[in-house]
Amino acid sequence: MSTETNTLPPGLEGEAYRAHVRSWLATNVPAGFLADRPGHRTPGLEDCRAWEAAMHRGGLAGITWPVEYGGHGLSLREHLIANQEIGRLALPESVNSLGKELAGPIILAIGTEEQKQRYLRPLLEMREIWCQGFSEPNAGSDLAGLRTRAVRDGAIWRVTGRKIWTSGSPNARRCLLLARTGPLEDRHKGLALFAMSMDLPGVSVHPIRQLDGKDSFAEVLMDNVEIPAEDALGSPDEGWGSAVRVLSIERATNRMYRAWRFENELAHLVQACRADATLNRALESGLWHRRLAETVVDIELIKAHVEPVVEALVQGEAIGDRGSLMKLHWSEAHQRFAALALELLEQAPPGAAPEVAAARQRFNDIYMRGRAETIYAGTTEIQLGIIGDRILKLPRGR
Amino acid sequence: MNANTEDRDGLRAFAETARHAIAACQKLTLRERAARLAADGLLGILAAEEAGGLGLDAGFAVPAMEAAGAGLLGFPLLETLLLAAALGQDPSANTIVFGEKIATIAWSGTADHTGGVLHGTVGRAPLAREADLVLVATANGAALVALDGPGVTVTHAIGLDIDAPECEITLDGAAPVATIGPEALAHLREEALVLWAAAIQGSADACLALAVEHTGTREQFGRQLVTFQVLRHALARQKLAVEHIRATLTRYAALAAAGAPEARLARHTAFAVATRFGAAAVESALQLHGGMGFTWDLPLHRHLRRIRAWEAQGDNVGLHRGLASDLLRANA
Repeated sequence: MSTETNTLPPGLEGEAYRAHVRSWLATNVPAGFLADRPGHRTPGLEDCRAWEAAMHRGGLAGITWPVEYGGHGLSLREHLIANQEIGRLALPESVNSLGKELAGPIILAIGTEEQKQRYLRPLLEMREIWCQGFSEPNAGSDLAGLRTRAVRDGAIWRVTGRKIWTSGSPNARRCLLLARTGPLEDRHKGLALFAMSMDLPGVSVHPIRQLDGKDSFAEVLMDNVEIPAEDALGSPDEGWGSAVRVLSIERATNRMYRAWRFENELAHLVQACRADATLNRALESGLWHRRLAETVVDIELIKAHVEPVVEALVQGEAIGDRGSLMKLHWSEAHQRFAALALELLEQAPPGAAPEVAAARQRFNDIYMRGRAETIYAGTTEIQLGIIGDRILKLPRGR
Repeated sequence: MNANTEDRDGLRAFAETARHAIAACQKLTLRERAARLAADGLLGILAAEEAGGLGLDAGFAVPAMEAAGAGLLGFPLLETLLLAAALGQDPSANTIVFGEKIATIAWSGTADHTGGVLHGTVGRAPLAREADLVLVATANGAALVALDGPGVTVTHAIGLDIDAPECEITLDGAAPVATIGPEALAHLREEALVLWAAAIQGSADACLALAVEHTGTREQFGRQLVTFQVLRHALARQKLAVEHIRATLTRYAALAAAGAPEARLARHTAFAVATRFGAAAVESALQLHGGMGFTWDLPLHRHLRRIRAWEAQGDNVGLHRGLASDLLRANA
């Protein structure tokens, strides 16, 4: 990290680090960013980019990554602390989460020294936004059916194929691309990972409108794209196997703020209802109490899955597929809560207070966006399969 | 936070001892069970050392309660553990720890305690018909009553649990043999939530093992049942339920050990998670057994009966009401 931009005081850890994060957030969150405060407006891409770059300079991103690649060299405990504090505020989602939570960790694990130097710092400094090129029209949950081909041709790989539902791709400079180097019959073998530049000739991006009206999804077509060999990640045959190992840890550690953001959303819902006489009466009536209480329990249960994972990893223990437990519970509990919020806020009479209108806007978005939560990062059905196959080790049958 | 190695070894040893003792209890009478469990030191885990106990905290009783749940133990172990601790150095604590007297707790209702005697009807007292002592809540704490004394009538109550059937007790001028204060009673009720959660975890895990075994051996449509994805997913959800309970108990133990204020909410979470997900897991395990699951001989219904009884004894509805009112007050 270039020292003139790093504003994280050296040597902070544990609760001292928490104090820094709190005071940094209190001073630096841009006006209008918080969705539960008056005057909120949805920030645009450039606002988010500047904000996330500032978070990195302040020591709130790249927390566990080595200092030589732009990280802060702290432990997962500080990663958890930052996530707790970020979660408590109604901040926008990262526009580069795929870079920070997927591409970055994979590059750290299997990238060459030169690749780490090349990719990691621009990603943290928000100069390069990443997208994820895994899913294809005929390979969604089942990546073994992946057809995008990569053929080695001297100093380049020639790639042709089609990726779909590629989140974040309209803004992305780089794509973490999964392509097939062997025959289709090899299924999970012969899959390679690339850090493909989105500027290469032959790459075209066709936005797909998402159900929430946003255009951050896209179809990415690759027509004889020449990817330089130095952008291949890991060995051509082992790319996927290495990635899967990284992903099982990532599923448990990424977006660790979820329990605390969820808590923020629940508090916002109650506070918004307080601002309207009808909704306040509904709150006090008792009809909603059981579901509200179960939401409190659901949130504490997410914390119970997250915090021990951090300690286990810090102590060098294997966590196996425990991330699936948290992901499955969080996604379903969050969807239940979003439905509760909609039903409760729908009781608002016409002309309700601006706080109620703002909350309805936020929870409508959360409800619709929440449909994706049981689909991305492995659908609910995939997670149940992982629990059955790998945690319970159920027999496959004769 | 993890228990240190010494603690972990201690917990493993407790779990092992408890499993053996509880398995041995199956063929014994209630009195013999008391003697056996006492001989293995399981009744005094939480009791003061002066009362013959080990003076440990609730975390050390978790493995014993898991084993009691898994093994369908027909003995008021949870009540014994908590009462022996709550009674401190009262002489009655000693007789409970050594299995000489069997004690239970009436989990619902409050008796009127005036003029040194008790009046009223209390309920949800497991095994009170065979026990010697019962703890009864009063307006200012709780009173311990001898069940064979004058002014005490015990009747079988309508309840689900058949391994530790619930009773109602009518008090008509009964004199307490000991009393505890309101703080001690509140503490006992709070600790009970953790022990019930542990027992439900043991029960749910045992039922999951039965369901895995059954679906792995029975064939229908020419295939092992476990090869059908819909059944694998049901088993995965049962496993998820068991891991949910385990995770909340682990988190509670860590927060309690650190003396963190969040420990109370973590304790309530453990109970709420255990009752919600534990009951669903056992219902699902029963479902996967098909017609066989609906029979008396299979132990699944006994697990389900107990979980529902514990859910009521721990006042799950009131606990959720409290969580909601805390939330509303915090965001007033």
